Amino acid sequence: MWKTIVRRVLLMIPQLFILSLFIFILAKQMPGDPFTGLITPETDPSRIEELRIKAGFYDPWYVQYYHWITNAFQGDFGRSYTYKIAVSTLIGERGLNTFWLSLLSAIFVYLIAIPLGVLAGRYQESFLDKSITLYSFISYAIPTFVLSLIFVYIFGYRLMWFPTSGTVDVGLESGTMEYYWNKIHHLLLPAITYAILGTTAIIQYLRSEIIDAKTQDYVKTARSKGIPMRKVYTRHIFRNSLLPIAAFLGFTITGLLGGSIFIETIFGFPGMGQLFINSIMSRDYSVITALVMLYGFLTLLGSLLSDIIMSIVDPRIRID
Amino acid sequence: MKKNWLLLSVIFAVMFVLAACNNEGKEAAKTGDGNKEKPTQTETDATKFPMEITNEGDAIKGGTLKVALVTDTPFKGVFIPELSDDAYDSTILDYAKNEIFELDGDFQVKDTGIAKLEVDKDNKKAKITIQGDVKWSDGQPLTAEDLIYPYEIIGHPDYDGKRYDDDFQNIVGAKEYHDGKEKTISGIKKIDEKSIEITFKKVSPAIYSVGDGLWGYAAPKHQLESIPVKDALIASDAVRKNPVTLGAFKIDKIVNGESVQLVANEHYFKGKPKLDKVVIEVVPSSSIGEALKTGKYDIAEHYPTTQFDSIKDLSNITIASRPEMSYSYLGFKVGKYDKANRINIFDKKSKMNDVNLRQAIGYAMDIESVTEKFYQGLRVRANSLIPPVFASYYDGTLEGYHYDPEKAKELLDKAGYKDVDGDGIREDKDGKKFTIRLASMAGSDTDEAIVEYYRQNWKEVGLNVELTTGRLIEFNSFYDKVEADDPEIDMYMAAWKTGTNPSPVGLYGEGAEFNMSRYVSADLTKMLKDIDSEKSMDPKHRAEAFRKWQEYMSKTATTMPMYFRTELFPVNKRVKNFNVDYANETKSELQTIELTADAPVK
Repeated sequence: MWKTIVRRVLLMIPQLFILSLFIFILAKQMPGDPFTGLITPETDPSRIEELRIKAGFYDPWYVQYYHWITNAFQGDFGRSYTYKIAVSTLIGERGLNTFWLSLLSAIFVYLIAIPLGVLAGRYQESFLDKSITLYSFISYAIPTFVLSLIFVYIFGYRLMWFPTSGTVDVGLESGTMEYYWNKIHHLLLPAITYAILGTTAIIQYLRSEIIDAKTQDYVKTARSKGIPMRKVYTRHIFRNSLLPIAAFLGFTITGLLGGSIFIETIFGFPGMGQLFINSIMSRDYSVITALVMLYGFLTLLGSLLSDIIMSIVDPRIRID
Repeated sequence: MKKNWLLLSVIFAVMFVLAACNNEGKEAAKTGDGNKEKPTQTETDATKFPMEITNEGDAIKGGTLKVALVTDTPFKGVFIPELSDDAYDSTILDYAKNEIFELDGDFQVKDTGIAKLEVDKDNKKAKITIQGDVKWSDGQPLTAEDLIYPYEIIGHPDYDGKRYDDDFQNIVGAKEYHDGKEKTISGIKKIDEKSIEITFKKVSPAIYSVGDGLWGYAAPKHQLESIPVKDALIASDAVRKNPVTLGAFKIDKIVNGESVQLVANEHYFKGKPKLDKVVIEVVPSSSIGEALKTGKYDIAEHYPTTQFDSIKDLSNITIASRPEMSYSYLGFKVGKYDKANRINIFDKKSKMNDVNLRQAIGYAMDIESVTEKFYQGLRVRANSLIPPVFASYYDGTLEGYHYDPEKAKELLDKAGYKDVDGDGIREDKDGKKFTIRLASMAGSDTDEAIVEYYRQNWKEVGLNVELTTGRLIEFNSFYDKVEADDPEIDMYMAAWKTGTNPSPVGLYGEGAEFNMSRYVSADLTKMLKDIDSEKSMDPKHRAEAFRKWQEYMSKTATTMPMYFRTELFPVNKRVKNFNVDYANETKSELQTIELTADAPVK
């Protein structure tokens, strides 16, 4: 197995290299550049031109690419044209925000989806099952921004249970208990919103797996041995039904850095989704390329992780 | 004053998804008839909002002013004017500002600021003197060195901001310093601990509104001196976490991109403010209306006028407004820019070079209805290329191009654009098919409806107008195409935010790259020169020069003003007084601001 993992990791290098070449060329093909946004009657066009030359935008692409890739190998992804700080600092800051938000919402997703999925499968065709199915259809169909706005309105402004924007109140001393609690308090509402929207797939997978498993021979065997139904569900069916979910776990872990533009915009939450979209709109090349590379790497890693996890939870699958 | 077009377009793009359709607007676009001859006064006439707000009640002691910064993207957090180019950062800095001059209603330096400006126009010199004992927020005295230091940052060989420009190089020795030939800027001299003298290559009337290379801010040299300008300064804590400032409040805590807490600056030169704190928080545009309704904030900065509906009936809010320093316009391409020689070349034979055609296009546009139905009176039809906020220069008597389709038809007939084949669409002077291509920027969802409405207006007078690329164009591509004089563009709709110096040379001059209509003439060049001439150091002469230029531009109609905009400032009723009039801004007198309750009124 280790051999396979090493081989897969080594294979990532050419894959990422090709990706970097693509994204570098495509990013520069977009109309405009980071300085287009600076146009005002007070800016001097010749100064902007100077800045473009200084930034190397007029060099041939392979020269620019060479500069970029050699720096990138030393961990220097350049400086954001918009935020004017090192790309790694910027992504670090936003990434951390997004990571905590996604982690919390992933926990909520499993907390909500697994019990609902199991119940729906176990009491198939019951009123409960139908209600759960209805819930998952609604949560699947409702657009992210609609639910976010409704939640902000109800829980943020009407009931005032949660803060309505940002990641933490400005007045607090960082490092205190109050500060961390405040941070979690800020995370809760967006995380719950995000989670509710993400439960459908897991509920439905789990439900159909359980329904499927109920008729399997090993369940019949277990029952004929006289094992109580409750135990059959927790010991036999549940573990087997989780397989398809485990298959996605790798992607779920690496997807924690993805972020969501809608959630972040409506909850005023500085995260990766916004950073990515805004960097494209403002032609912030250094951020665009760094983020695409990061996401590319995470996707490759996610698929590797998923394979490894599968081989652990399902002894029938072995990678070699 | 800078406009971050990018941010605007980002906000618009998000609103495109979020905002509900303006049904009223769509109706206007579809029907496009009715009594548009005399636009009726709507109930939401923006002019009814005052510039100054006063609320009754006894002031509490201290208190925290809660400011909402309405934006859907985090602020950048560069709190030094020399390096910042973000509108939201500068709004935050307004509360802690390092500005050394105060401006009057005409944006001319007055004597009440931290420093006094004396111009010696014969010797092309300016003397800047610190008035009285002024201290930085950390208690250090403000000295002449602090006035010089910003010039050394901007002029520095490693400086990579946009402010090292033509204007800056107007300072004697600035270029030599930037090129590394000199250790200091030879044109800037320290006279004593409190005053400096700057020598310029030329002085124009712009110097009185902090132009010609003059810089309006001080920088805390004692804090910044040891930090290299190259890369380090902009990333330093002195710029991002604990900037030392001169304003009424000083920055206390920052949550990057989200919020800033400021506390009263006991060293403020106008006295310690009555408030204890100011907290500024980023609020998404999708929920600002609700946030104001529930009394979360006292003041909203950068309030999106498209969301006027959500605050217009709130009882706990008073709305203040003022004209924006900007105008929207329709530009006609009548030439090319010669990049090598940096000069605009007017092409007499260009398609749009017929003054009657251009005027007819203007008369055919029902701008009045659009401002009323789509913008709820928060934009009005512009008559001039100088926004009315520049009261001394703005020519209110100009007619401009009000909606008059009959006149448009008459002009087109006169110019020889006749419908030869009887399909209702006019052919060109030679009887060939005539199509005008319009470039328009994609923004909010109403933009498309508005453009369609205008196209219909033009069709009614017999002009066939098609969109360049067939649809609205994304911001970056739009400017790429317009600046490059793309042959697919005959006319384009855009906007300018003017700075405090309304001199039009940079936008309409012979060598101006931003003169995107490419119209130049000997008369125009003369008029522009006159506006910035030595004679115009006399305000009366300058006002007259401005008036002549406005009249000329209106007549030639190569750039046709479309709208003037209004800025809104929703203010909670517990704020005792708040004035947004440029001549008398509360922002310049923040030490006086008071609250009448412990929490904003709900």
